Amino acid sequence: MDDLLADFVAETREMLEASSGEIVAWEADPSDTARLDTIFRFVHTVKGNCGFFDFPQLEKLSHAAEDALSECRSGRREPDRALVSAVLAIIDRIGVMTDSIEAGEECSAEGDDDLIAALQPGEITSVVGEPKAATPQQAEPADGEDDAAPKAARSNGVQRSIRLPTELLDEVMKGVSDMVLARNDLARRLREAGEQPTIDGPFDRLSAILADVRNAITRMRMQRLEHLFGSLPRLVRDLSNELGKQVMVDFEGGEVELDREMVEMVRDPLTHIIRNAIDHGLEGPGERIKADKREIGLLKFAARQSGNRITLTISDDGRGINIERLAAKAVAAGIYSQAEVDAMSQRRKHYLIFEPGLSTADEVSSVSGRGVGMDVVRANIERVGGSIDVASKPGEGTSFYLKLPLTLSIIAALTVGSDGQRYAIPRSYVEEIVFGSSDHIDFAEAGDRRLITFRGKRVPCLSLAEILGTQAGDAMDWEASTLVLVRLASDDIFALAVDRVYDHEDVVVKPIAPAIMDTGLYAGTTLLDDGRPMMLLDLPSIAQKHELVNEMRSATRVPEEETAEQRKAQPIMLFTGLDGRRRAVRLELVRRIDTIAREAIDIEGSRVQAVIDGAIYPLAGLEHGELTADRCRLLRLSDGDSEIVYAVREVLDAAELEGEVIPSDADAMIEGVALIDERPVPVIDGHALFARHSGGQRKAPPLSCRLPADSDWARTILEPLVEAAGYRIAGDGDEESDVAIELAEAPAVAAGPARRVIRLRHEPDAPGDGADSIYRYDREALLNALKRARMGETA
Amino acid sequence: MNDLLLMCMVAGRRAAIPAIRVQSVIEIEDITPIPGAPAFIRGLTALRSQALTVIDCSVALGFETAQAPPDQRAAVVEIDGHLYALLVDAAYDVGEALSDPIEVPGGFGAGWQAATRGMVETDGGPTLLIDVEALVSGPVSQAA
Repeated sequence: MDDLLADFVAETREMLEASSGEIVAWEADPSDTARLDTIFRFVHTVKGNCGFFDFPQLEKLSHAAEDALSECRSGRREPDRALVSAVLAIIDRIGVMTDSIEAGEECSAEGDDDLIAALQPGEITSVVGEPKAATPQQAEPADGEDDAAPKAARSNGVQRSIRLPTELLDEVMKGVSDMVLARNDLARRLREAGEQPTIDGPFDRLSAILADVRNAITRMRMQRLEHLFGSLPRLVRDLSNELGKQVMVDFEGGEVELDREMVEMVRDPLTHIIRNAIDHGLEGPGERIKADKREIGLLKFAARQSGNRITLTISDDGRGINIERLAAKAVAAGIYSQAEVDAMSQRRKHYLIFEPGLSTADEVSSVSGRGVGMDVVRANIERVGGSIDVASKPGEGTSFYLKLPLTLSIIAALTVGSDGQRYAIPRSYVEEIVFGSSDHIDFAEAGDRRLITFRGKRVPCLSLAEILGTQAGDAMDWEASTLVLVRLASDDIFALAVDRVYDHEDVVVKPIAPAIMDTGLYAGTTLLDDGRPMMLLDLPSIAQKHELVNEMRSATRVPEEETAEQRKAQPIMLFTGLDGRRRAVRLELVRRIDTIAREAIDIEGSRVQAVIDGAIYPLAGLEHGELTADRCRLLRLSDGDSEIVYAVREVLDAAELEGEVIPSDADAMIEGVALIDERPVPVIDGHALFARHSGGQRKAPPLSCRLPADSDWARTILEPLVEAAGYRIAGDGDEESDVAIELAEAPAVAAGPARRVIRLRHEPDAPGDGADSIYRYDREALLNALKRARMGETA
Repeated sequence: MNDLLLMCMVAGRRAAIPAIRVQSVIEIEDITPIPGAPAFIRGLTALRSQALTVIDCSVALGFETAQAPPDQRAAVVEIDGHLYALLVDAAYDVGEALSDPIEVPGGFGAGWQAATRGMVETDGGPTLLIDVEALVSGPVSQAA
């Protein structure tokens, strides 16, 4: 909201400045319609924005001015000096109000009505009009003078915004990127030259400053797609209400950053696509149920970044594009002949949707179907250097793929090695990394296509060396390779075999020469810290070259994926407990996996603790069996506040919890039993686990207990016992303690006030009057009394 | 016509690159190969934290690549915002063009014809003026 408001203030100010010249010119010649139009636009825009922000005063003023001006524009009224003055007064007032809005203060409505009245034609007499208009104007400075000082002071605290041409930002950003690269170069030379304390210090400082500047500059131009996504649910809701449909939206990749300007460029095309999807992509609830689909339609937005491009996918699970009707319409509209259409591929026919003047909707609704839309969308996307593509399957849905350029970007990349050279892969594509030698991977061949079986799915596998032509696939040692599972924006998955995976890095991507771009293998280049160039792989293009992207298949897969996601596949971690049985724990709980020496675990009775990195954690999982002799594998679990460790024999794998967890009453420590890989696996109940093991660990401030002041027995024997029961020993002084323990033999030596008193006696057998006292070595009774005291206190 | 030219040797012939286009002449030490790229692109090299596309002029002209001397010289040019390093057999001095580029009957031979703007007279004799734009698009586009 604050952002929007700042935008509003900035925009209004900018227009005020721009129109001030026009206003003067208009005053000189009230019949100049061009000036009139400019001023009209200004008040009109202000009025529109006010309605949005709920500034009734401002709206009233601008509305009145707009009315008067529109009468002039339509020729029903002649602009005269009185009107000009009245309008000017209102514009000045808008300026004052804008200032107060920025400063966050109320602006008095006093005089507004006079200003509005001055606009009325009835007021036109040179005598009345002038002073009427002038009075508020004079009153303005008077008001202003009163609080000019505080306002100036206040405006310092207000976040001011300015507008800059984007070219300037581009230039600054390019400069900073080059500075980063130059710094890397310098860093490398410094490293080569060895340690030089006098230079290294300042250089580190320079690096830190540069990193900050780079961040700030990047932020200046970039905006997370979330901002765009944020406005969509409302749009979808309004449209679906209007059209009597139920639509659910799903977003992915909101963290992808896009050039601010680009975000604005995409907004309109995106709105068009959404309208189309809801209006004639998604069916009504009745039709959906008949088609055996969920009643609620799904609209999914997914954004990915790859090199210099952003891919934005908008998919619905509606009825799909009716190609035959589209083709028939194209013929009817005279865009193509029947023969031309017949010769078209399915894909080409889908593309007809982007032809001007075509619509598949039978009826024109208020929302869409007037044949303007997709051609405009395509034109807009192409204008910003992007491209649009569509894939659809009848009855199953339609996906639009928007590819948008990103002139200069810093992206998170994974660096991989192949044939002694490093390459970068945009991290957003990387689903998982597995070793070819891992037990979970099986290699298989189907014809010439190599497949891997991973988690029960067959995934096509490519070797990077083979793609790049540096090594034949036959010579590849698949087992020794590392597999990067790549998920494309179209949800196609393939495995990329590389020699090794190096690191995660943020890289500045620079465009590459057209001749290299033409290979379809690379999306850009970046420099490594050592100054050597590294190529950024263009995974979508590589997948396309190897025919791993099949629009039809990806379209059919979309609905399946959705249903799975709706059930919220929960990630879990599989392990074998100390008894050798398989168990699972929700992955959210797992903080890390530790291996510690047996000596670091301390077991005494029911108290079991483990020491990791100098901290003591409660240890669970021992109920299942004995610890192994020397080293113990531990899962460190966290509930956000406290941590406990869970002993396991072996950590197996991460898996998705797809089905239901069937509750089990038999064991309180398990949440239930889930079916994973066709086998029942008990899922640890995190709640119960933490309830049992971390209980009392982080209690509110412990209760205090006062002990008899000058008794050695109390200090040496009683104190540890009381402390173990969770009490703090009250200090000297007159502080009131929660409990006091007194010795029956030494009455009346009350060390300080206490809310409860426990009396201890020497003799095992209570004397006649000692019913309220406890024998000093009756541990049970004493602890009970302390416990009762605590319950009483907290109840 | 007193344009300055960078005199060099390409594929065993005297050639010249307009000096105004040449940002610098560098010695290339380390080339990162780009697998899959056309043969005339030798790879990328870094210059002052910027990546240059290294073009092997001989190959771009359709000749076999010369035996690469250990310290190859290259002329750095910028085309459409991209930096290229044009690998030459040898780079000499900057000289003056003594004439406008002219065509000669019969042409300069298939490879040269497409990548030169004509022949100019220089102090060192007739020299072919290289068209850098045509050169960086390589022999593939000439064939098309």
